[in-house]
Amino acid sequence: MTRELVRRLPELVSLAVVAGVLVALPFLLSSYNVSLAAQVGIFFIAVLGLNILTGYSGQISIGHGAFMAVGGYTTAVLSRDHHMNLVLTMVLAFAICFVLGLILGLPALRLSGVYLALATFAFAVSVPLLPLQWSTFLGGSGGVQTSRTVTDLWVYGVAWTCSAILFVLAWLVLRGRMGRAFRAVRDSEIAAVASGIELPVYKTLAFGISAAYAGVAGSLFVLATNGFAQPSEFSVFLSLQLLVGAAVAGLGSLWGILAGAAFIGLLPQVSTSVPVIGSDHGRDVVFGLMVVLVMLLLPDGFAGLLARLRGLART
Amino acid sequence: MAGNYKKLGALLCGLVLTVGLAGSAAAAHKAHHHKNAPGITKRQIKIGGTFPLTGPASLYKTIPAAEQAFYAYINARGGVHGRKIKDIVLDDQYDPSKTVPAVKQLVQQKHVFAIVGSLGTAPGLATWGYLNQRKVPQVLLATGDGYWGNCVHHGCDGGRKPWTMGWQPDYPSEAKLYARYIVAHKPNAKIGVLYQNDAYGRNLLGALKRGLGSRASQIVDAEPYNTTDSAQVVGGHVVALASHGADTFLIFATPAAAIAALATEAQIPGWTPLTILNNVSGNPVFVHLAAQSGAKPDGVISTTYIESPTTQSNLPGMKLAKKIIHKYAPALDQSFAAGDSNIVYGLGTAWTFVYALKHAGKNPTRKSLMKALRSMNTKKNPFVYPGMKIQTSNKRTFPMEQLIFNKWSGGATGDWHTFGKVLNTGH
Repeated sequence: MTRELVRRLPELVSLAVVAGVLVALPFLLSSYNVSLAAQVGIFFIAVLGLNILTGYSGQISIGHGAFMAVGGYTTAVLSRDHHMNLVLTMVLAFAICFVLGLILGLPALRLSGVYLALATFAFAVSVPLLPLQWSTFLGGSGGVQTSRTVTDLWVYGVAWTCSAILFVLAWLVLRGRMGRAFRAVRDSEIAAVASGIELPVYKTLAFGISAAYAGVAGSLFVLATNGFAQPSEFSVFLSLQLLVGAAVAGLGSLWGILAGAAFIGLLPQVSTSVPVIGSDHGRDVVFGLMVVLVMLLLPDGFAGLLARLRGLART
Repeated sequence: MAGNYKKLGALLCGLVLTVGLAGSAAAAHKAHHHKNAPGITKRQIKIGGTFPLTGPASLYKTIPAAEQAFYAYINARGGVHGRKIKDIVLDDQYDPSKTVPAVKQLVQQKHVFAIVGSLGTAPGLATWGYLNQRKVPQVLLATGDGYWGNCVHHGCDGGRKPWTMGWQPDYPSEAKLYARYIVAHKPNAKIGVLYQNDAYGRNLLGALKRGLGSRASQIVDAEPYNTTDSAQVVGGHVVALASHGADTFLIFATPAAAIAALATEAQIPGWTPLTILNNVSGNPVFVHLAAQSGAKPDGVISTTYIESPTTQSNLPGMKLAKKIIHKYAPALDQSFAAGDSNIVYGLGTAWTFVYALKHAGKNPTRKSLMKALRSMNTKKNPFVYPGMKIQTSNKRTFPMEQLIFNKWSGGATGDWHTFGKVLNTGH
């Protein structure tokens, strides 16, 4: 037992450091930077969820922005119509997106690779059109406003608390039987089936869990936008951003996911102050260049970089 | 043991990152102190705004450029009460989730005095709660939706918003004028309406119906389109209107869709309805684009409230505009010569802000700025249509409440020509 503790000590220390820094940040940062740090927390949740799907079960999704939209609209509509407690709406967003993820997981059973990517892409394109179709219920392009708005500090606190809870949840899920099953499916579906893993169950389950995470992130995303949900907030670009975040994160490392979330959460803001091309017009250029650079230099993401550093330390 | 090294390495990386973040944050903390009147010093007043500089709505990006040119012109003449105006323009791509962080950046990091001229209804709605809560002026918004005036008094959507106001004539009043025109000139019209499927489009359609009164039954078809629709889909709606037998065609659409609608109209054999185009799409530059894709714009009716860089180039306002643009924003010279009315729009807004700032006292506060904005009364804005007034009161918060009709002639290289009198649209 003590040996186990000693072995895990560095991990525990790093977790404690992250937690300590997160608690200290609001006292150190200006209110604007707290809102940026909250944004990173929101993307942390979404990237964490996407990581379970793409990293562990080996399925791709370009549709996670749509799950964020569902989560965000859940919060906005419940608050507008029923003045529901905002944290409660996030729990419901989690549940609704979990079910929706399971359902979207069904076609994923028959599709893989680029075809699955296209199917989820279609999902990302079509969901933001629903509010326009049902505009009395979902506000059309005029958007939905929550009955209560919250401060940056509220979003920061709740986002990182959720991050912690969902991180532990992911750890619990992935360390045991289910995590092993996900990885087996990723590495070889045939081998997984031969070993008695029920493919449909685990593939849809991965979709469900991952979608539920995106749903919570979506709720917070809307609350961070002053409680205003509107279709153009959830464009296809958001889904692509999440995928970039997951790619930058790499597989299964807390630091990796932090780096991925910070990458997509902060880079658009930071890149406007890059000299020469860093004007507003250059923002997307800088973002694109950075993505290309990261993919060239860190093909396995930030987690891969850490693994390489470990390799260096060993020799 | 090697395992411990690798974890240690990761830990160090993380620490370096967070220390760096905290350091930059501490630096940001030091940068500001003016608590009572943020964004204002003896020599400078800092304002900001959000606009779609990139993305699908970036056709509007000449507006902030023109505003900055006008402030540069004022600054070169000593500024306002000795203060130079610094205008920080941020890109939000017309996406409210980008508007919110941009506005927070302007207010909490750049510490601007006021948000001036920001463009778009949804971006405005996403930020007005935040700005009113913090008592930051959100003024001269570039959108004509009813929210920016009426709600201030009637308290819709979350109570009064005393720190918010618009600039241009509101859309419902514009639609009522079109109703009046139809009743007067084509009483037996069979009306077909193409409208944007959102608050803006429905506002216009609703006001048109109210304006038509008992004649509203003459609307034979109203077709909604979405901003995300392709030109083909928009064209399909126009064909539907024609097949319903409409002989009067109203376009309540933003530029891209309006261009598609005009182009489709010309391609339908034997269909030559009286066409009315709402003024947000009436920029001559857009009509020229439509003509390039086959539209025959002669005879189209619209309205305006600003001077034209082309047909009124001899007026002192347009001469001044040309000079300012050439000196302070030479990149816009060509669009200005082509008649880009958004440039004039930007100059007109900036002029209004400077006018209010002059009347907000030697040491303006956010409150005194709002008071000045709420008590304007002048015909001197050189960029609005001759004779039109900028007028506000505590009860009237749309500064511009006048329009004049215009008609297109001259084909693909033509222009708008105004007719009739300046009309009051006030409610």
